[in-house]
Amino acid sequence: MTTYVVRRLLDLVFVLFGVSVLIFMMLRAIPGDAVAIMLGANVDITPERVDALRRQLGLHLPIHEQYLRWLTDVLRGDLGRSVWTGRPVADEILGRLPVTLQLSGMALVTAIAVSFPLGMAAARTRGTRADAWMRVSSIVGLTLPPFWVGVLMLYVFSIYLPTWPSIGYVPFGDDPLGNLARMVLPVIAVSLPMIAALTRILRSSLLDVLSLDYIRTGRAKGLAPRSLFYKHALRNALIPVVTVIGVQAGHLLSGVIVIEQVFAIPGLGRLVIGAINERNYPLAQGVILTATVVFVFINLLVDLAYAWIDPRVEYG
Amino acid sequence: MKRLAFLALMAFGVVLAQSGTLELAVDGSPAGLDPHKVTAFSSFTIINLIYDGLLEINADLQLEGALAESYEISDDGLTYTFTLREGLEFHNGRAVTSDDVVYSLERILDPETGSPQASRFTQVAQTEAPDDRTVVFTLSEPFAPFLANMPNLYVVPREVVEEHGDLQQVAVGTGPFMLGEIVPDTFVRLDANPAYYRSGEPGVAELRFNIVPEASTRAAGLRTGTYHLLPDVDPTSAETLRRAPNVTVLGTQDLAYTLLGFNTTRAPFDDPRVRAAIGAAIDRDEVVQAVHLGNAVPAGPLSPALTDWALDTDAYPCYAQDTDAARSALADAGYPDGFAFTILTFGTNRVVADTAQVLQAQLERAGLDVEVNVAEFGTFVQDWQNSNFDAFVSLNGGNIDPDGYLHRTFITDGSTNVFQHSDPELDALLVRGRTTADVDARQEAYREAQMLLACEGPIAHIAYGTLFSAHTAAVEGFVQMPTRNLRYLRNVTLNR
Repeated sequence: MTTYVVRRLLDLVFVLFGVSVLIFMMLRAIPGDAVAIMLGANVDITPERVDALRRQLGLHLPIHEQYLRWLTDVLRGDLGRSVWTGRPVADEILGRLPVTLQLSGMALVTAIAVSFPLGMAAARTRGTRADAWMRVSSIVGLTLPPFWVGVLMLYVFSIYLPTWPSIGYVPFGDDPLGNLARMVLPVIAVSLPMIAALTRILRSSLLDVLSLDYIRTGRAKGLAPRSLFYKHALRNALIPVVTVIGVQAGHLLSGVIVIEQVFAIPGLGRLVIGAINERNYPLAQGVILTATVVFVFINLLVDLAYAWIDPRVEYG
Repeated sequence: MKRLAFLALMAFGVVLAQSGTLELAVDGSPAGLDPHKVTAFSSFTIINLIYDGLLEINADLQLEGALAESYEISDDGLTYTFTLREGLEFHNGRAVTSDDVVYSLERILDPETGSPQASRFTQVAQTEAPDDRTVVFTLSEPFAPFLANMPNLYVVPREVVEEHGDLQQVAVGTGPFMLGEIVPDTFVRLDANPAYYRSGEPGVAELRFNIVPEASTRAAGLRTGTYHLLPDVDPTSAETLRRAPNVTVLGTQDLAYTLLGFNTTRAPFDDPRVRAAIGAAIDRDEVVQAVHLGNAVPAGPLSPALTDWALDTDAYPCYAQDTDAARSALADAGYPDGFAFTILTFGTNRVVADTAQVLQAQLERAGLDVEVNVAEFGTFVQDWQNSNFDAFVSLNGGNIDPDGYLHRTFITDGSTNVFQHSDPELDALLVRGRTTADVDARQEAYREAQMLLACEGPIAHIAYGTLFSAHTAAVEGFVQMPTRNLRYLRNVTLNR
């Protein structure tokens, strides 16, 4: 087990290296650099000054030298400074990470808490009208883009419940109730597709397991239906569900990026979108690296969860 | 009865000087706050509330005193003497003297600063401070727009620059509001300056600029009263907000205009006959209806808001839209079957992208084969700067003096002459316009320049839109400015 975790963490180093090369090259492949964007379209400025600005930001160097410089700094733990604000990139990220983690974490927990009872109910009532209704609504839930749901809810709340604080963000420490109230709409918008996906997979996985021989045997030897369902069927049905949770967690991050725009929540999504638009290379690189680390860790946790659910899974 | 009146006062609240927080919602964070260094519009929104120049532009686009209470111009137009108000103070409590004005101009002109404002002041040969309240600028040649550039001479304190290296993260000015707190991507808080030089102002204790990128979110927030004021509302949101209870929508003529620009070094746009033919194919009224929902006016080279300078668009022959005439003019120029070209534009501004599409349809009716390339904004800027386009559709900001826009845009090798247009006759007019002090002679020069530019110039000017703002019933005294400057937030009061 320990060897497995260590090996996975070593993998992380290679993943990060690959990602760092990719984002570095991709960001620079977009036409226009920070200086061009900074100067915008309506400005008198001499070509000498433009060159001086590029030099200041190190943009005059060949791209491999720029990469080596950046990589050396990152290995020393220095992510550089934001081109526009001059603040350290690490500070910018640490300020936003908790916001995005809270939103994603609450969405994940909500999705699991809602989809498990729904999926189980659907499996037990297979073929009934309730089951059909749940299947249709889960397809609808899967296809609704969080962005659209977010804007719609915002609009509806602004008319019918104008006193509900639905926009922006306040730190939990400053105002716990205000913080949670502002999380409600974004969490619903982000978790809907995940609820739909998890409900569907849990239902079909449970139905598969329930038709297996050992369940029939259990029933024949007179096990209580409750114990048969929860203790024997559910646990076995969870394995594909956990895989889907891992995949969906990735989608969740992208949904959160969009929903932060809609609800004016100052998280990593807002930060990275702004950074890319401004060609703020150090900041964009720093955020994407951070997101990669988070994503890889989620996948690691999912893999470890298999062992907890299914004792047959071994890590060598 | 007295008691009733008292209760009514309690119920509706009393308007008190400097009370309450005015919540605004804007679309972007300021990218640095150094008034001598930044270029971003989102930065100037804040900077114009914190810093002052010697003069400022009022809502009627006329100049009036800010830090200066009066000025004199010598007869030869070379010496400008300004007298500062008495008792001016920076936000850090230090008295403002004429030395600060001298220092600020030196900082702008210093190549180390790299100030985008520098080109406005290159005619200044000498700046002197004979006493604490007098500043004398001596110009190397007469420069008529000099006064119009005075609002951009933001006066900053030397000791703060020296302590922090620059003013991107700190702000110490003389304006009605002082920098309180910046929480990136969340809000910028400004606090009222108790020592502001205009008495009774500002009327609110705090301004909070909430950063809200989504237009629909800003509109929803205004409906619920989360925000009191949206300085910039797009035409579609303006229509829906008009029907919301307790919301007032304001509109004023925008100084910025949409345009179709041509690369005059590329065939066939190097032929003035082709540019005039395209001009005749354009239906500006249709753009006004389709893109601006009627809230715009057809554009000539100067905004109708510049009442002293702009010609009426009826004066331009090519503004009579005529697709058949455009076709035959193209045939005369050697293109009986039209030609194919690409319009470069960007998608972040809905008005701009929509204008490009409407123009595409109009030009195709005249037999041209037009492709629209909607580029990401940074890509657009890059291609624009490098003149890497056949034609482009964009939005340009305006200026209260014709020189501020026409000179840099159209003179040979001008800093924003991306069309690479070169017309000796036009160059002579633009030089005459800026070096002549006599207003009548300047007006004559710019009349001729407008006639040259309207039909055969490198730009087809399309439309001046309406700038919309919206606020709730709690806001009193907000005045919109065509320049989008929010200086008059200093007059706003909140009733609750």
